[in-house]
Amino acid sequence: MASITLDNVGKVYPGGTRAIGDVNIQIADGEFIVLVGPSGCGKSTLLRMVAGLETITDGEIRIGDKVVNKVEPADRDIAMVFQNYALYPHMSVRQNLAYGLKNRRTPKAEIDRRVNDAAEILQIGQFLDRKPRALSGGQRQRVAMGRAIVREPAAFLFDEPLSNLDAKLRVTMRLEIKELQKRLGTTSLYVTHDQLEAMTLADRLVVLNAGRIEQIGTPLEVYRKPASTFVAGFIGSPAMNLIDARAVPYLPGTAHAGTVGIRPEDLTVAADGPIEMQVQAVEELGAQRLVHGHTAGEAITITMPPTAPLSDTLRLTAAQDKLHLFDRQSGARIE
Amino acid sequence: MKRTIFSNQLLPWLLLAPQLAITFIFFLWPAGQAIWQSFLREDAFGIKTSFVGLANFRALVDSPEYMNSLQVTAVFAVSVTLLSMGVSLLMAVSVDRMLRSSRIYTTLLVWPYAVAPAVAGILWWFIFNPTIGVLPYALDLIGYDWNHIQNPNQAMGLVVIASAWKQISYNFLFFVAGLQAIPASLREAAAIDGAGPIRRFFDITFPLLSPTTFFLLVVNIVYAMFDTFGVIDATTEGGPAQATNIMVYKVYFDGFVGQNIGSSAAQSVVLMLLVIALTVVQFRWVEKKVEY
Ligand SMILES: Nc1ncnc2c1ncn2[C@@H]1O[C@H](COP(=O)(O)OP(=O)(O)OP(=O)(O)O)[C@@H](O)[C@H]1O
Ligand SMILES: [Mg+2]
Repeated sequence: MASITLDNVGKVYPGGTRAIGDVNIQIADGEFIVLVGPSGCGKSTLLRMVAGLETITDGEIRIGDKVVNKVEPADRDIAMVFQNYALYPHMSVRQNLAYGLKNRRTPKAEIDRRVNDAAEILQIGQFLDRKPRALSGGQRQRVAMGRAIVREPAAFLFDEPLSNLDAKLRVTMRLEIKELQKRLGTTSLYVTHDQLEAMTLADRLVVLNAGRIEQIGTPLEVYRKPASTFVAGFIGSPAMNLIDARAVPYLPGTAHAGTVGIRPEDLTVAADGPIEMQVQAVEELGAQRLVHGHTAGEAITITMPPTAPLSDTLRLTAAQDKLHLFDRQSGARIE
Repeated sequence: MKRTIFSNQLLPWLLLAPQLAITFIFFLWPAGQAIWQSFLREDAFGIKTSFVGLANFRALVDSPEYMNSLQVTAVFAVSVTLLSMGVSLLMAVSVDRMLRSSRIYTTLLVWPYAVAPAVAGILWWFIFNPTIGVLPYALDLIGYDWNHIQNPNQAMGLVVIASAWKQISYNFLFFVAGLQAIPASLREAAAIDGAGPIRRFFDITFPLLSPTTFFLLVVNIVYAMFDTFGVIDATTEGGPAQATNIMVYKVYFDGFVGQNIGSSAAQSVVLMLLVIALTVVQFRWVEKKVEY
């Protein structure tokens, strides 16, 4: 077990691409941190820098008290789960699990014990003598997890480990990973571009945009007080409505703001509501209904109960404390 | 697989005819002739030909020269295969990493590696030539007497190096392609699992390369045994004292120079059987054994 600290970390690829700029994160021992952001924002790069698979061009990474900038991946005491699982195709599941321990000269009996323990935890006991290609995607995923946990490392690193699974399996595995991490208490850094996965797994979220941190906080903090228009639009589904403040001058307290953010579920239909919405499209989701439209040229979406009456124009209202105000230039949150 | 139904019974045969004709004229007919001739023997003056059954083959088995040729061929084929595959694998591994980091230059970088050995192949003859060559001169300066015209081991060394060199570019391209097909994440996972570069190579890279390696193994053995006639003929002509007289060269020498058509035909039948055996091994193994 160990903490992980990233101090002013930056990365410029040999071609000159700046993938990461000036990132600071303090991960406490046993904490589950999720790095989330759109494709190409540098999540994998950052994770691989922690793993030792990419060089660190600026700043310092510490695992525990040890600066690891120049330390080989094998000596960082971390285990990584890859997006494509990276199971050794010519080895049986048992050999896959044991490989890291064998390389570290762990005694045979100890290897057997740990492999069997991991197999039991992950319910892959009956596959131990199969080759990875004879396993389903979900089973491979478990083996990849198993390879990480037998090592009993100081930290787990996950790079989109669930993105190759179908939607249903992803939900089950998500719960299992969360439960497993709680049980083992191992510090974890988890990369995903799926904000729902991020919200459900994380102790704290790190929202990344173009190689920079937009916000760090617990899922609820980030949801309730997004630090920028980027975070506001990225976290939450359906996404928060971001409306130019000039289109809604009648909303109280918006005079000095550039952008007003209101979550779809915070907009409620009321006969005397100040916002007039022209309805354009309706999506029925079963439990609720999404209504898309616009007001004064600005697109907005609201959620409604499926039984509520619909009309071409709706009058909407939102509680004052549900309004998020952002600066016009920087997009930063205004309190 | 897609099946095409021809309504006309003749058309498919017409379409196949040119290919069948070529196969027949250039392969089946000469092969049949060789088999037929391997059962015949001409008298000393080439006037009378008689059917002798398996006598030609029996004579081969009893001939110490032919046994020597078998041994020479085995040493030669194994050496050429190991040398050319070893060198090209080494080159491929060192280039592989470079190629992964910069994709744009991939083809550009491979070019010199692929072309250089072919060009250098021509140079070998000049380099090793005992009278005008650079290498014998340089070796002479340090007190080593290079003369592959008289020294059997040096002659073998020369033909092995020259033959292996010609195969390196071919092997290299296959190895590079094979290496590039191994996902980088496997080696990264192994690195995190505590395996150093050499360990990684033998535990991960080499086993995953085994289909390519096995394919090249058969190709190189076939090359060394049947396709090195030109190298031998240009350099040692099978000598000195039969030291480089590999089977395929002996077929030519006994048949065209020695005019012993019956024995030469019997030898080529033996070679034919070897090719067939290697091909069978190739297909059997590529499909069954070499998988993971
Ligand atoms: N080896 C490399 N050389 C140069 N640039 C790279 C390299 N790898 C990644 N990049 C660039 O760095 C940036 C960040 O890439 P990275 O793979 O970290 O994104 P990501 O957030 O993981 O995206 P995704 O969600 O699609 O996996 C991208 O602009 C990418 O083009
Ligand atoms: Mg990525």
